[in-house]
Amino acid sequence: MTDTTYGARQIDREERRFLPTEVFEQPEDPNGLPVLDLHLDDLPFLTDAEGRITTGALLAACDSVGGLACGLAVLPRWIVTTNLTVRRAPSALHDGRGTGPLRIRADVLRAGRSAAVARLSTFDRDDVEVATGWITSAALVPEDGPPQHARPFHRKLHPLSDDPSACPRMEDFFGVRAGASSTEGWLDLTEPRRNMWGILLGAGVAVLIEHTALAAVAGVPVGDPTPHHVLSDLVIHYLSPGRVGPVVATAELIGRHGADDMVKLDLRDVGADDRPLTTAVATVRRVGRAGSS
Amino acid sequence: MPDTDAAPPTFPPPRHAITLLGADVELRTGTDLRGWMPVVPHVATASGAPSLAAMGMLLDIVGGTSAALAARPDQVFTADMSVHLLPSVVVDEVVCDVHVRRRGRRTLVQEFSLEGGRGEPVGRGTTTFVVTRRSDDGPDVESHDFHGRQPFWPLGPDEEPARYREELGLRIDGPGEVSIDARWQVANNVGALNGGVQAAMIDESATSLGRVHLAPTAEATDAHIAFLRPGLKGPLRAVATLVGGPAPEGDRLTAEVRLLDAEGTLCTFATTEVVVP
Repeated sequence: MTDTTYGARQIDREERRFLPTEVFEQPEDPNGLPVLDLHLDDLPFLTDAEGRITTGALLAACDSVGGLACGLAVLPRWIVTTNLTVRRAPSALHDGRGTGPLRIRADVLRAGRSAAVARLSTFDRDDVEVATGWITSAALVPEDGPPQHARPFHRKLHPLSDDPSACPRMEDFFGVRAGASSTEGWLDLTEPRRNMWGILLGAGVAVLIEHTALAAVAGVPVGDPTPHHVLSDLVIHYLSPGRVGPVVATAELIGRHGADDMVKLDLRDVGADDRPLTTAVATVRRVGRAGSS
Repeated sequence: MPDTDAAPPTFPPPRHAITLLGADVELRTGTDLRGWMPVVPHVATASGAPSLAAMGMLLDIVGGTSAALAARPDQVFTADMSVHLLPSVVVDEVVCDVHVRRRGRRTLVQEFSLEGGRGEPVGRGTTTFVVTRRSDDGPDVESHDFHGRQPFWPLGPDEEPARYREELGLRIDGPGEVSIDARWQVANNVGALNGGVQAAMIDESATSLGRVHLAPTAEATDAHIAFLRPGLKGPLRAVATLVGGPAPEGDRLTAEVRLLDAEGTLCTFATTEVVVP
């Protein structure tokens, strides 16, 4: 049955180059399921104060390559993401460890009639695994058919400028801004922030969640610097797509143990009668100076 | 499942895993339920906190009941489960509230709060269920009246007290490796390994890795579990592997856990966190 709420639109991919990546399709696994590698450089507008690629950028890249792998696995249908989890290894959040470019491998673990699941393994430049996770997707029949991709798949997204200092950070691209307190963050749903279905890009969800969680734990307005704080673990359940905006994220601090804070986060589409968009549970870890205090 | 074992006439069979937690449930508003679980040594970690294994089963019980009610007239199967626990929170009982966040045509999403009896935060959880057309052999929750707090399929008054961890029959085969025989006492109504029991295997395999790489007191606090295929053919194995390495401070690690059936088919994939409280 065709899903009439998902019709692919022509979008200007040039203006959406906030996350430069290169994706290569690898030989299929023994079960004939797709395997993709995404390469993510540690460009200065994608890294935190300690020089690590931010978890928001990592989540966005995982959503991108994981969704793509699941989509290729269910052709001629396509997918929307339903859940995303990422967990950064503690060994990669210490001193200078975990810095540098990353490679994310998405291998599809299961592709059925109505859903697909892919494992997401992230490796550093020495091929040491520094993060793990998985993504689930619901299969649908888009009104105008699935996106057309040549196989084996290859895609390189260049940065918006050759000059890294002229490239916006993800939180700036998505216009993440503070709300009434340190537990509230907002963004507006402008055209470049929408995907081909016309809904808020997964990267927008990721960066809004990351910044709201970090600010809630650090006790600063959303968007202010939060040095020595890393979103180390997250599960996101996508409840409905963000179609109108603005979108607000609210954080609830659940509890603290050692260097970790547990945070629950909810996103709502204010312009769509406060429709719930996602529910998420995250861990924010204080590392370095903040972690030892 | 148990190809060596005749299917029980009714579900659950005597001393099934879901009867061993001593859980109570109560329907609150709509399809939102509250569950209670006493924290006894058989369901606690070395620090005395409620274990990931027990919390996985509690979510399966409370969430599964709520989902079954919310999905009527359809039925549900667990697609994924996330459990997040604050380490070393010692409480006498866990109070688990479940709230259905989304009931769609094909999926149902829930969130859970986990607290101690005096409101102490214990953790959080989320689940996704796949909604499918009802078959006739599902657990009959509709004929139960869950109004008012009541035991969830309790053991009889003359039965031996439950020894949850022991009675699951988990075998630790080596660091990070746990196995279980396919028996109806650990299966769901269609004969596949119960999701809560899988959480116990994930807990035990990851924790055993932590005992080797961290300290004997290591405990798993967190898991994201993707149920891929029913685990039907036993013995089933859970194999935990390190991601990266332990933290340089030696107080935590991340692991992946694969649950495989007797033919080596991947049934479940999970990521976990193990800490020294």
